[in-house]
Amino acid sequence: MLRYAIKRVLQLIPILIGVSMLVFLIMQLTPGDPAKLILGPRASQETLEAYRRELGLHLPIWQQYLNWIGNVLRGNLGNSLHFKKPVTDLIMERLAATLILSIASMILATVFGVVTGVISATKQYSLADRTMMTLALIGFCLPVFWFGLLLQFVFSIRLGWFPASGINSPGVTGWQDMAWHLVLPSIALAVGAMATIARMTRSSMLEVIRQDYIRTARAKGVSWREISYNHALRNALIPVVTVVGSQFGYLLSGQILLEVVFNWPGLGQLMVNGIMYRDFPLVQGTVLVVAAMYVVVNLIVDLLYGFLDPRIKYEEN
Amino acid sequence: MALPDVDNPRFLVPIEPVGEPVFTDPADEIESHSLWRDAFKRLLKDRLAVISAIIIIAVIGISILAPVIAPYAPNEMDLAKRLQPIGTPGHILGTDQAGRDILSRLIWGGRISVAIGVGAVAAALVFGVLIGLIAGFYKGPIDTIANFGLNILMAFPYILLAISIITALGPGLTNAMIAIAIVGIPYYARIVRGSVLSLREQEFVQAEIALGASNWRIIFKHILPNVLSPIIVAATLDVGWMIVMASGLSFLGLGAQPPTAEWGLMLSEGQKYIRNAPYVSLLPGLMIFIVVLALNFLGDGLRDALDPKLKQ
Amino acid sequence: MKKLALLIMVLLIAGLLLVGCGSDDVTDDGTTTTTSGENQLIIGISSVPVSLDEQQISDYNSDRVASELYDTLLRFTDDSTDVEPGLATDWDVSEDGLTYTITLRDGVKFHDGTDFDADAVVYNFERFTSGEPVFAYADPIFDMVDSVSAPDESTVVFKLKEPFAPFLAHLAMTQFSIVSPTAAEESGIQDFGRNPVGTGPYKFVSWTGETEVIMERNDDYWGDKPNIDRLIYRFITDDNTRLNELEAGSIDIAVDPLPDSIAGFEAHSGFQILQEPGLHTWYLSLNTQVPPFDKAEVRHAFYHAIDREAIVDNILLGTGVLAVNFLPPATPGYTDDVPKYEFSPEKAKELLAEAGEENLTVDFWVPEGGSGMQSPDAMATAIQGDLANVGVTLNIKKLEWGAYLDQMFGDFPPEDQEMLLGQMSWISDNGDPDNFLYFLCSNTQWPPNYNSAYYSNDDFEKLIIEARFNPVWEEREPLYKEAQQILMGDLPYLPIDHEIITAIGREGITGFVIHPRGFFRTTGVTVP
Repeated sequence: MLRYAIKRVLQLIPILIGVSMLVFLIMQLTPGDPAKLILGPRASQETLEAYRRELGLHLPIWQQYLNWIGNVLRGNLGNSLHFKKPVTDLIMERLAATLILSIASMILATVFGVVTGVISATKQYSLADRTMMTLALIGFCLPVFWFGLLLQFVFSIRLGWFPASGINSPGVTGWQDMAWHLVLPSIALAVGAMATIARMTRSSMLEVIRQDYIRTARAKGVSWREISYNHALRNALIPVVTVVGSQFGYLLSGQILLEVVFNWPGLGQLMVNGIMYRDFPLVQGTVLVVAAMYVVVNLIVDLLYGFLDPRIKYEEN
Repeated sequence: MALPDVDNPRFLVPIEPVGEPVFTDPADEIESHSLWRDAFKRLLKDRLAVISAIIIIAVIGISILAPVIAPYAPNEMDLAKRLQPIGTPGHILGTDQAGRDILSRLIWGGRISVAIGVGAVAAALVFGVLIGLIAGFYKGPIDTIANFGLNILMAFPYILLAISIITALGPGLTNAMIAIAIVGIPYYARIVRGSVLSLREQEFVQAEIALGASNWRIIFKHILPNVLSPIIVAATLDVGWMIVMASGLSFLGLGAQPPTAEWGLMLSEGQKYIRNAPYVSLLPGLMIFIVVLALNFLGDGLRDALDPKLKQ
Repeated sequence: MKKLALLIMVLLIAGLLLVGCGSDDVTDDGTTTTTSGENQLIIGISSVPVSLDEQQISDYNSDRVASELYDTLLRFTDDSTDVEPGLATDWDVSEDGLTYTITLRDGVKFHDGTDFDADAVVYNFERFTSGEPVFAYADPIFDMVDSVSAPDESTVVFKLKEPFAPFLAHLAMTQFSIVSPTAAEESGIQDFGRNPVGTGPYKFVSWTGETEVIMERNDDYWGDKPNIDRLIYRFITDDNTRLNELEAGSIDIAVDPLPDSIAGFEAHSGFQILQEPGLHTWYLSLNTQVPPFDKAEVRHAFYHAIDREAIVDNILLGTGVLAVNFLPPATPGYTDDVPKYEFSPEKAKELLAEAGEENLTVDFWVPEGGSGMQSPDAMATAIQGDLANVGVTLNIKKLEWGAYLDQMFGDFPPEDQEMLLGQMSWISDNGDPDNFLYFLCSNTQWPPNYNSAYYSNDDFEKLIIEARFNPVWEEREPLYKEAQQILMGDLPYLPIDHEIITAIGREGITGFVIHPRGFFRTTGVTVP
């Protein structure tokens, strides 16, 4: 197991390097001279040249990359052109908001998804099963930004049950207020993942139920209920873990849109604003951090999967 | 590979995979024809899939005929008639914040969405299949490099990659299409690569190789036709997701630019008026939803029809 | 299963449509719960301040937040741009109009406990006119000042190079707010805007990112102390959210509501509409130095093409007055005897053909909201549509407000300015015609100052400079009238409307003053 874990972590390194290279390259392609952006259009040629040297822009591109990645590893993502603050600080200010929303949605999606899936599987072809699976298909097709807007309209603007946007009411702190603000965006964000997890749980449960040892248990007279919850569920959940992981990427994507709909002060909004401000260091920093988050979550899921499923052959590719 | 190979390798549709591709020797062409015919017959029996297909055909038809059937030009404004409610005579679905006819804009918007969805999928398909074929067939270092590149592209949450690409290219409809096509490439490439790797070992391919047929002949004559069927279903479904992604980018201001009648942009522009005139933003979103839903029902139907065993 | 799915789908869609298209009025039950049981006023505004250092501020949302942290030497009365004593109690102008002797108020302390005195005023003048690009207002406000001195602790003497008529009004402009020299030195130019220290009726408490600025009553204030304990400005960019928060009771006043939403609140008993005609003009700024807007025909064609009346009547819905002149009508010296441009797409097409610019494509820059910008998107869409009708393609380019200001008033030579056509608005700083005609139109005021059109016309320049330095109003007035005619003939700016500044407040709030200059006075406010 340890060997497997180390191997996985080591395999992560080239991916992270590749991701950082891609982010770096994309930002190299963005129009505009960084020195000019920082110093303003009236800066003289000499000042610009001197500043370029200071920034290391005269170096060959691979050397620029090495300098940049060196800074990134030391936690320095450069300075935001718009906020005139280190990008790292801006990201740290908003990271919590993003994590709160994504984790809340992920929990919501997993709990409801698994419960729905299990009920559906144990009552296969019942009305409940059909209804839930149809709803899952529908939920799965909902464009997240539209669904968010719809929830906002119905439950906030029309009914006034929940706050329409933001993470806290003005002047109010504390988790109750935040939880209240979290309701609509987390539901909107969770629905897609919830649907997928429900469908995955259902089919995985059904597969396990058909397997030999379950049949044996059944033949021995163990009750259906016991079989479902003790034997089948535990094994069926193993593949579900992977889906939960893969849903995280789906969730992060939806979150970028949803943070804009609900004016949620997270990384997604920061990134979109960065584009609006034409603040490329900011965009570069947020993209890199979110991508890295995604890769790491996938690693964790991967390790968890290996840990849960004893059948995995660690030597395998 | 550091990334877990999810049960379903395809990006936006994390449901059950399409099933093992059925490899056919070109010699069995007659049989494969009847396979498709059977599948089509089964599809016709699936009422939901048929309705979905009708919806999709209708959307495509309306899109093509937009200039003829739309009651107004998409950008024809009348400020004196702003935000008219649904059911206003002359404007069945009301008017938007600039007094433009919403029905007409939805129709024209469909044209753009369909074009983008199909265009992006086609582009992703062509490049994805090519990369997958080459990587899978030549194996070795080419495959390693290609695979590494694909893994990196897939290490980004999809919209993040699209946003990064648009940051470099600049906002706009064409650039948004390029961006989402690039996002789609690795998913096709990986399905194809996987299929090619196993096909390559099949007898009829090995026989061709032994007979000294050229690589390109083998790839295009024998391998390509066989990998196509599993990705056709995938592509059908993906058109819907590409539409969602493109409209999401427009929603963020990175895709279509005003005054273009595009669903995501209409939604985002109408958001301001949601208190007084919610239909201005909710209707375009509903259109996106309906198209995606129909494409999914159709895709499900297609999958069931192509592989009846799965239905059990 | 499939039938059921179909049924659910149909029901879902039908339900959504029903909800989506039901009747309009949102605010049905009048219960508004207020979180502010405390004695405080929370004002929701549409953009985040650029800075709280008044000397660096050029947009009026920042000014709104910062203005009550400070005092000025003279101040405007609550409802006009007439001046009354502020930090100065008395002033004396010499016969020749060149020497202004200002007597300062005694015993005033800055919020940091240091004393306000004549040296502080001199320090402020020197800081403001130090030439740092962030103090863009310094030049137009004080370029006529020769020297400033402090003969004793409570006297300041301004010596002018030439007699300058609106000088007292300049001393009342919020841009020359008096900051604490000690604090300003400690923080430096960059950081002072986040840690402001003045002498005003409120003391700065905190500024939380893009959320809010909190201030508290200055119990040592020399003038009328505020009734409320705390004044909070909350930044809510989204128009709907701002109104939702008002309904939810988490803000007391929502500034700049979307015009379409006002009627709903007007009909509602829990709220009051607060309005005040502003000394304001909303205009399109055209770069007159480079093609295509270097040709007067093109500028004229654009003005003819835009149906301003439709914009004012249908988009602004009572929050704007149609503009026929660049100056706001309440400005002294205003005339409507200027060249007029009726709405005429035909004429616009002819003019474009004359200029040889039939198939013109231009980027049209639009801010994401911002003070005084009214409804930037809706107005942009209307203008874009009007110009499409005469064969001109406008590509809308949107920028966030701060970035937008940086671009429009960035230190670019005209040929490097990417922004050829953009929305802008101006609210008079002091009520004098000079504030529009010199600040925005003099060829000495090209960016980084505020002549974003890069307008330059020698005849016009002569008139406004002569008027600027003539102390006799009766002699200035005809000069300004002539200048307005030249300006509206040249059309470097296309004025669309004059804003009626609007806010919606909870019922029972009294004493909230919207000044025609755009800022607020809250010292008299009582909350229920």
